[in-house]
Amino acid sequence: MMLIFLRVPIGLSMFLAGLVGLIFVTGETTIPFARLKSEVFTTFSSYSLTIVPLFLLMGHFATLGGMSQALFKAAESFLGHRKGGVAMASIGACAGFGAICGSSLATAATMSRVALPEMKKYGYAGGFSTATLAAGGTLGILIPPSVVLVIYAILTEQNIAKLFLAAFIPGILAALGYVIVISIYVRLYPESAGVRERVPYSERMRALVDVWPVLVVFIAVVGGIYGGIFTPTEGAAVGAFGTGLIALLNGGLHKDTLAESFYVTARSTAMIFFIVLGAAFYNGFLALTQVPQEIAEFVVSQGFSPWLVLIFVLIFYLILGCLMDSLSMILLTIPIFWPVMQGLDFGMVTMEMVQADRAMDVLSAGIPEGMGQDMLASIKGAIADGAQLTKDQMKSLGIRVSEGMVNRIETEQVAIWFGILVLIVVEVGLITPPVGMNLFIINAMDRSTPIVETYKAVMFFVASDLVRVVILLAFPAITLFLVGY
Amino acid sequence: MHSFFLRLSRVMAYLGGLMLAALIVLTCTSIIGRELNSVFHYMAKNDILPIVGRYFLDLGVGPVNGDFELIEAGVAFAIFAFLPLCQITGGHATVDVFTSNLSPKVNRVLRMLSELAFAFVLVLIAVQLLSGMQSKIRSGTTTYLIEFPLWWAYALSLVGATTAAVVGVYMAIIRVGEVVTGQSMIPSEVGAEH
Repeated sequence: MMLIFLRVPIGLSMFLAGLVGLIFVTGETTIPFARLKSEVFTTFSSYSLTIVPLFLLMGHFATLGGMSQALFKAAESFLGHRKGGVAMASIGACAGFGAICGSSLATAATMSRVALPEMKKYGYAGGFSTATLAAGGTLGILIPPSVVLVIYAILTEQNIAKLFLAAFIPGILAALGYVIVISIYVRLYPESAGVRERVPYSERMRALVDVWPVLVVFIAVVGGIYGGIFTPTEGAAVGAFGTGLIALLNGGLHKDTLAESFYVTARSTAMIFFIVLGAAFYNGFLALTQVPQEIAEFVVSQGFSPWLVLIFVLIFYLILGCLMDSLSMILLTIPIFWPVMQGLDFGMVTMEMVQADRAMDVLSAGIPEGMGQDMLASIKGAIADGAQLTKDQMKSLGIRVSEGMVNRIETEQVAIWFGILVLIVVEVGLITPPVGMNLFIINAMDRSTPIVETYKAVMFFVASDLVRVVILLAFPAITLFLVGY
Repeated sequence: MHSFFLRLSRVMAYLGGLMLAALIVLTCTSIIGRELNSVFHYMAKNDILPIVGRYFLDLGVGPVNGDFELIEAGVAFAIFAFLPLCQITGGHATVDVFTSNLSPKVNRVLRMLSELAFAFVLVLIAVQLLSGMQSKIRSGTTTYLIEFPLWWAYALSLVGATTAAVVGVYMAIIRVGEVVTGQSMIPSEVGAEH
């Protein structure tokens, strides 16, 4: 940890910590060095991690294909004439772009290029514009596909498709929250935003039609992954191919821009994979020392309320998120926090709930053959009372629900819920003054606005984020109901 | 000198990018083949133009054999090929909140130390990859489906790893030089992206 704060690259710090730690624990260099022989290769040749460079390339192609303009134009034509409408349109366009781009900073940077000049034109205050875009950028990572979620899924061994699905509603909520913030802000400070003239409906429709490539790519990628037509990695490849093709047809993709895409993708990919490698090494060391297990046992044995622990962890992320980028943070901390979370009992699901769910599945497909009326009535009665089903009842339904199954479902639900919460909290860090990364990126694009102005305006968005975290924390169902058991 | 290494890194990154593009095409071909394959099977089975279905099946329309293995081998090369560029442009993620208040001199020394460590690690990785490759040659391990020797993939990756090691050492030398002379020797780095 000390190394990281001394500006040693994060991946390198973890790698060195892992290496030195392993040498220290095993007392010699043979084992750690021997691990290097194949571990580096296997980490870099991981099939599921292939998704990362593919998503990055896809996001870049999407920029080249002029999709950010199309999205912004469409959103602007619908929302532009309202109070603060151009800002709302930026949020909408960010959400749309987030659906084909897996990175916050890329979303923020891309949308700024399109939306900042437009907001200037209609008399929006500089700080307000930059803050809006910084906040909108965080939608890039929240709305699937998302690179950070992929990494989280791999670390906690969860299903990527399910996590994407779970992130969907919180993502929409985030966009709505930001829109509300904007409408409050422009009423508090009416001088900070201008109004754009109304656009006729025919033009709106034309702008909407221009968005079709984004929709096609999004549906193909997310739909294909979720529908089981292809693996997430294949989905990313399809997405990259699709956006690349669109960019090619629009004339945005030629030799120079392709080289540029490779350049940018290469830099980010190398950075991410070096962190992943460092984390793998560091985690190997942690696992050997059993520290995460001990921490987990310690926390569980203290008998703290699971909610208290969770809130504590989230606050920790909030603070850390101001200092570090989201990916490194997830890689550094999830291996420690996840075992702790697994050890806690949030009571997401119970035996009765799973039984009832499975029973309803069977019954909704038609009443099984040979089931007597009284049996059916007794099952329905048990479900209505929230009581456990008896062995006979389950047998007649042809279902089996074991203790282990319920535990597995509970773990999965907690993993998904926790993942989404962490993702949001980490993203809040990206826009929290004074060190939020998104703020710097956007501010660098608008030299005329002092960063203090951005700081002031962004606090409103941070507040909306915090409210959302509390809502999602209090009602796990918002995140989980799409996923099911 | 610097422009040579920069160009070398760029070329590696482009090669890696081309590999990535090739993998994308490969994957898409494989998906289309797989889906068509099931369509033709369906046709042959359910008497919907069975001759057409059978014809294409006999042509061998189907998923690309061993696409997983090819992707894994290819992406490893791409990632290793991306490393030098990240190294030379200072693209690694850092936390600089606490060091931004320190003097340029202290920062320079810190950077030199981390760059030295980086060079050491990259050389170590390349050397160990080489010995990993040698053991794969000896054991004759092949991949599961198309059974190409695994050491081919290692050899391909080694090209990138070696370049990264060379560039890493070069950067370390530059940073040492900077501390000694007290001034920047290369054009200032492009900010890290995250």
